[in-house]
Amino acid sequence: MKQIRLFSFLLLTAASLLVVSCKKSYLDTKPSDAITIDQAYASIAAVNSAAASNYLQTFAFGGGNGQTGHDNYGQKAIDLANDLMGNDMVVHTQGYGWFNADYNYTGWTLPNGTNTRSDQVWSFYYNAILKGAILLLDNTANQTATAELETLRGEAYGLRAWAYFNLINNFQQTYKGNESNKGVPLRLTVSAESIGRGTVQEVYTQIVADLVKAESLLTGKARASKERIDVTVVRGFRARVALAMEDWTTAATYAKNARQGYTLMSNAVYTSRSGFSSINNTEWMWGAFIPADKATIFASFFSHIDATQFGYAQLGGQKKITKDLYDKIPATDIRKSVFRTPGTGTSILPDYTQTKFSVPVVGSWAADYLYMRASEMYLIEAEALAKQGKDAESRVVLEAMVGLRNPGYSAASFSGAALVSEILLQRRIELWGEGFSLFDIKRTGAGLNRPTGAGNHGAPNFNPVVYQLAPGAAGFLMRIPTRELDNNSKMTPADQNP
Amino acid sequence: MEQTCLKQVTLIINKPKKTSMRKLVSILFVLLVSGFTLMAQSKKVTGKVTDENGTPIANASVLVKGTSIGTTTNAEGMFELNAPASSRTLVISSLNFTAKEVNIGSGSVTVALTSAVNELTEVVVSVPYGTVKKSTFTGSAGTINSATIQKQQVTSVTRVLEGLVPGLATTNGGGTPGGGTDIRIRGFGSINASASPLIVLNGIPYDGSISAIASDEIETVDVLKDAAASNLYGSRAANGVIMITTKKGKKGPAQIQASIRHGISTRGIPEYDRVGAKEYYELFWESYRNSYVFGSGQSYAAAGTSASNVLTSSSGLVYNAYNVPGNQLVDATTGKLNPNAKLLWNESWADALFQNATRTNVNVNVSGANDKTNYLVSGGYLNEKGIAKFSGYNRYNFRADVNTEANNWLKVGLTVDGATDKREGLFAGGTATSNPFYYSRQMGPIYPVYQYNATGSPVLGADGKPALDWGVPAQMGARPYAANSNLIGSLALDRREQKRLNANINTYAEIRFLNDFTFKTTLGMNYFQVDGLTYQNSEFGDASNVKGRSTVSAQKNVSLTGNQVLSWNKKLFDRHNVRALVGHENYQFRTSFLSATKTGFSYPGQTALNNAAVVEAPPSSSEDLHRIESYFGSINYDFDGKYLLSGSLRTDGSSRFAPDVRWGNFYSVGIGWRIKQENFMKDVDWLNDLKLKASYGESGNDNIGLYYQYINYYYADGFGNFSPITRPANPDLKWEGNKTLNYGVDFSMFKRRLQGTVEYFDRRSDDLLFLTPTEPSFLFPNVWQNIGESKNYGIEIQLAYNIIQKKDFDWKIDFNATHFKNKLTKIPPKQKELGGIVTGNKKYNEGRSIYDFWLREFAGVDPATGLSLYYRDILGANGKPTGERILTSDITRADFYYVGASSIPKIYGGVTNSLRYKDFQLSILTTYSYGGHFYDGNYQSIMHSGAAGTAWHTDIQKRWQKPGDVTNVPRLQNAGGQDGASSRFLFDASYINIKNVSFSYNLSSGLARNLRLKDAQFFVSIDNAYIFTAKSGGDPQQSFDGNVGAGYPPYRTITFGTTIKL
Repeated sequence: MKQIRLFSFLLLTAASLLVVSCKKSYLDTKPSDAITIDQAYASIAAVNSAAASNYLQTFAFGGGNGQTGHDNYGQKAIDLANDLMGNDMVVHTQGYGWFNADYNYTGWTLPNGTNTRSDQVWSFYYNAILKGAILLLDNTANQTATAELETLRGEAYGLRAWAYFNLINNFQQTYKGNESNKGVPLRLTVSAESIGRGTVQEVYTQIVADLVKAESLLTGKARASKERIDVTVVRGFRARVALAMEDWTTAATYAKNARQGYTLMSNAVYTSRSGFSSINNTEWMWGAFIPADKATIFASFFSHIDATQFGYAQLGGQKKITKDLYDKIPATDIRKSVFRTPGTGTSILPDYTQTKFSVPVVGSWAADYLYMRASEMYLIEAEALAKQGKDAESRVVLEAMVGLRNPGYSAASFSGAALVSEILLQRRIELWGEGFSLFDIKRTGAGLNRPTGAGNHGAPNFNPVVYQLAPGAAGFLMRIPTRELDNNSKMTPADQNP
Repeated sequence: MEQTCLKQVTLIINKPKKTSMRKLVSILFVLLVSGFTLMAQSKKVTGKVTDENGTPIANASVLVKGTSIGTTTNAEGMFELNAPASSRTLVISSLNFTAKEVNIGSGSVTVALTSAVNELTEVVVSVPYGTVKKSTFTGSAGTINSATIQKQQVTSVTRVLEGLVPGLATTNGGGTPGGGTDIRIRGFGSINASASPLIVLNGIPYDGSISAIASDEIETVDVLKDAAASNLYGSRAANGVIMITTKKGKKGPAQIQASIRHGISTRGIPEYDRVGAKEYYELFWESYRNSYVFGSGQSYAAAGTSASNVLTSSSGLVYNAYNVPGNQLVDATTGKLNPNAKLLWNESWADALFQNATRTNVNVNVSGANDKTNYLVSGGYLNEKGIAKFSGYNRYNFRADVNTEANNWLKVGLTVDGATDKREGLFAGGTATSNPFYYSRQMGPIYPVYQYNATGSPVLGADGKPALDWGVPAQMGARPYAANSNLIGSLALDRREQKRLNANINTYAEIRFLNDFTFKTTLGMNYFQVDGLTYQNSEFGDASNVKGRSTVSAQKNVSLTGNQVLSWNKKLFDRHNVRALVGHENYQFRTSFLSATKTGFSYPGQTALNNAAVVEAPPSSSEDLHRIESYFGSINYDFDGKYLLSGSLRTDGSSRFAPDVRWGNFYSVGIGWRIKQENFMKDVDWLNDLKLKASYGESGNDNIGLYYQYINYYYADGFGNFSPITRPANPDLKWEGNKTLNYGVDFSMFKRRLQGTVEYFDRRSDDLLFLTPTEPSFLFPNVWQNIGESKNYGIEIQLAYNIIQKKDFDWKIDFNATHFKNKLTKIPPKQKELGGIVTGNKKYNEGRSIYDFWLREFAGVDPATGLSLYYRDILGANGKPTGERILTSDITRADFYYVGASSIPKIYGGVTNSLRYKDFQLSILTTYSYGGHFYDGNYQSIMHSGAAGTAWHTDIQKRWQKPGDVTNVPRLQNAGGQDGASSRFLFDASYINIKNVSFSYNLSSGLARNLRLKDAQFFVSIDNAYIFTAKSGGDPQQSFDGNVGAGYPPYRTITFGTTIKL
């Protein structure tokens, strides 16, 4: 009797345990720090949140391919590499070694492994294209077009164009004369299908189409902050693209339109610590706002460029202007003062070391990133006008910008090719360190001609190994990451850049 | 047969001194029964317990029948007991031996004892939800007992396993204080999901830290290798199961045991040989000269002068360790050091950063049992310093275990254990400057620890002591390697530590009813908390500019396992033995994390965030859940102990998979035939036992690390926004399967002097949880899929041979060897078409192992130019390789190939020699591995072609110097890039490790008695006594995939210790 009672008790206990745990939801667990894709696109606020996060990726440490090397912090890392591959930026000593492979063109050509620049660049932009643009475009395709949604979609098209433009310029020569060369995979929807390289022309056609859409969607829309792109930034992109395509009319028009509403920064601001590290700057068109809690510390642009702040630049990796270019800046030009005057150098700030890019306050990593500013638009417009033979108009634009930095500046003596050369020289001076060097020498066919001797490239400065590359040289092409070739069924080893 | 008497229990009965009044004896008897252990006028009984081979049995229980008076034998099998004068019988029992009753008669009594261990009738193996007799076990398992475990001085029991169980492979785990090893059982099943075995502690899957379980508290470790053994844990048994069972109180009076050990640790593998200051300058001069010649096109003469000038300049090595001007240090023509130059300092970073580390371990336990209840209470303390200064591990551990038969149908038990430990000096790994191993290896020999002035006198700091050199311009210059750092300075001020709390509570109630049924319900909880602190000091180094940086984190894992098992145990018709069970189990794992970082510490050394002003990384927290629910059943049947049959069935649902596919079914069957039990084998005298066995089954794996891979989630980015998914969801993702076939034979022969097991296994994994790569121009770098199949098949041999068995001298050899092959048999179709999946320096492809190296193939050094040569494919018209190759000196154009090497050894295992002479015992465990390869990235990093500031291996002396030189070391050239990854840095990973030498002395029983001790043992042991490797400096056993990092080398530890029993 006792046993039967016991048995029943046990069965009941067992049964109740089973019932409790059999609740269907028992195995449906959910994360505490995530939302589903449906939730992410359910409301404008949520879409905006996803988009906002994507903007953070433009300066995220380890963004793109997840490689947490201290030289992988988004757009500004690529900008710095771009300048280091040009003619005008010198590396002081070996330092901790970051970016030295870019300077001597070895990281650039090594396509194997995620710690190479080519993998970093490839992943960064495809990440922006797909996660920033395509996911948003795909997932909002059927939503009612409100003004907010139009803004978000406009931003997505703009960013996609920006990313493809950077990709094609890293992985191919300039547009003009190379239209039928191999492009980069043009991915416009979420699909696991492999896509081949296509042509340069196809890529540019898409870029222009996206910019047209973006401009139309963003026209008349306000933006929350200069962290986001708006119609002026899209016009700035269009000007950059047109300049590369040598579509001078469009370049001039768009550059002019783009800068409307922006005022060139004063000389006081230009030479202040925050001139190139504060998004509040009146001529900044697009940038990243980076307060202390978003800063990526040593893995940041300022760590590698600002030797006044304790970071890699101070530890031997000082970035210096060439004596060659420095000597071309007139003494009356305030832009000369953002480089250490020869003869006044110290061990931390040797001669020619740049101080243009500085953290606003030494000891804090809160320093914003610059992606686009009005001076570039003046330079694009001036160049495009000069190329059209509109020298007089061009000189007015150039003087409006340069004259502010160098009072009394006159471009009157320049015309024709000399004017274009003068504009390109001003471009090198004005945009030094802002990430334009490599694209410019590819675009203008200047080739790599690194001046040597005291104050220039090579001993006693760090050895760049490569001193000269002929215009159009294969060395200018970033190699396609091996893992792309390994996994893309539409590419063969022959699709690798030479 | 002279030794016959040794195979019996020999009892020497000391007659009581003058039998006095019976009454008194009775009173004393009562007192004794009541628990008094006073010395009384009773009869002294001494004896010795051995097994059939004459090997003493330690810890055997000797009990006066019908009382709780008893003792246990010491390590020599000796015991001594004061028995009531009236007592008649002793009950002698020991784990794995058949209990015997021995009369305490007048005079000596000899009773033939049947040792169960040799008849394979009572040895049990811990399996899921119970134990099985080894004799009727159809699966494959290896058991390691406490005696073996305690020979090795380890903090994590995972370190003991290497070389003891065939089929089990481990890394050496390095020498991180408190660290353990990685384990793989029978090859490499899972590729992207976790391939580690399931750890089960006292019957509950364990999520805590293995280091938290003191090895002194472990009774046995059972390694379950095949499906028949492990399958009842179907859901998580795909990669094998390790069952850890802690000690329980044994029948007999209370026993107090204490052990104290003290040891000293040093490096087990020496540092690489590196060049000294003189050679360093000369070599660097050459490196600069070559850079001017080959890079800048200067003449040799001009380049030599340039090199002499740049050598110690700010863009050269910066430091001049000699007393002559830098540009005169190395002759511009000969490249030789100035003969007048005198070295101003010569300091070793290794001496400054490393130390001989002490290790102290104390454990005490009290245990006992009567017929109904057993108990054990233990506690211990461990303090293990690291050989890197400022690192160490300490642990306090406690355990209480009580089991009682409350009445004739109910048995309950409770185990509570807890450990609190602290890990200090959790240095960054890899190439981080704060990694002392990498730092001291890479630092050029000319850079001092302390500052010197130009004349070589030490610079004193404000405190009058020699000032540290931080490698900054304000001191001796910006050191080209690791400027602004001095690890002796910063590690002393920084803190990188974890405080952990690990607690387990296991309870069960077991109810017997209707004679043959048992219902057992078990509830187990593991609580694991890690409080992490990373503090970079505010005075020097990386965080000095922000006045210190502190990251505080807290991780909490709580896992709960509850199960209900109904079992039926019955002998039918005399010869049919059946044990069947059905059950249900719930498992829940909850993990939560909280972390924040601040900078701006106004007062040095204060690490709490309250002391800091600036929030650097925003605080973040998250919580995740993993749940599994399971139903299972199994049956074990044998006919007369001769024909064996077992089977199991289990179904599991995992929260890691989508509702439609989350349930997986797993099963196993096993059969066995004990041939020796057949009548026709009765007369085969030389054979003592022979069993054939076979098993087959399927188990699963859901451990992809992520919790919600079946839904597309946008994860919060810490700033209130949600980042797009990093990987697309796969709602079809389901359990990975693992099908294991096992054939084996267990045998025992020549009067059981030779025993062994030979097994063949074929383990096939399918539906591999595979992280399929996609091209990076696609949305995601990879996608989880159930694609891919692999197999591991091989043979395992384990032999034990008693070479000598004499009264005073024994010698036994245990040997095991494993040979297996790993092969991928199916990869995703797209990747197959593309020729495989490149992952690091491996490439997965059908027909290849997962650890076949895929590298640029080094083709030596061009004698004409001194450049490294590699191979490159010639492409055909279709853009694909034609199969022909050409040489190239441009590494960026070199193609990758299978270079004919794998990190998987051809054979590995261990040999144990156990010797005993009287009371002295010596045991030597040697482990070995032959035929694998490893990629020595550490060596590569000191074989550069001229990275200023970085040390050089002495092999650099073999460099190419002039046209015509035939060598394998390319020319030196600053910024010349001749050291890229290639097969040049692959080395033979074969090794022989004298892993443990243990020498012990057992106090003779007479002496122990005089000291009022039951037993005492003194020992000295050496762990990692000597490691023979194919290449000096390299650590071939650091990882399974053959890649090594700059971490702790294994330790050699010499330990002195004693164990006493009261």
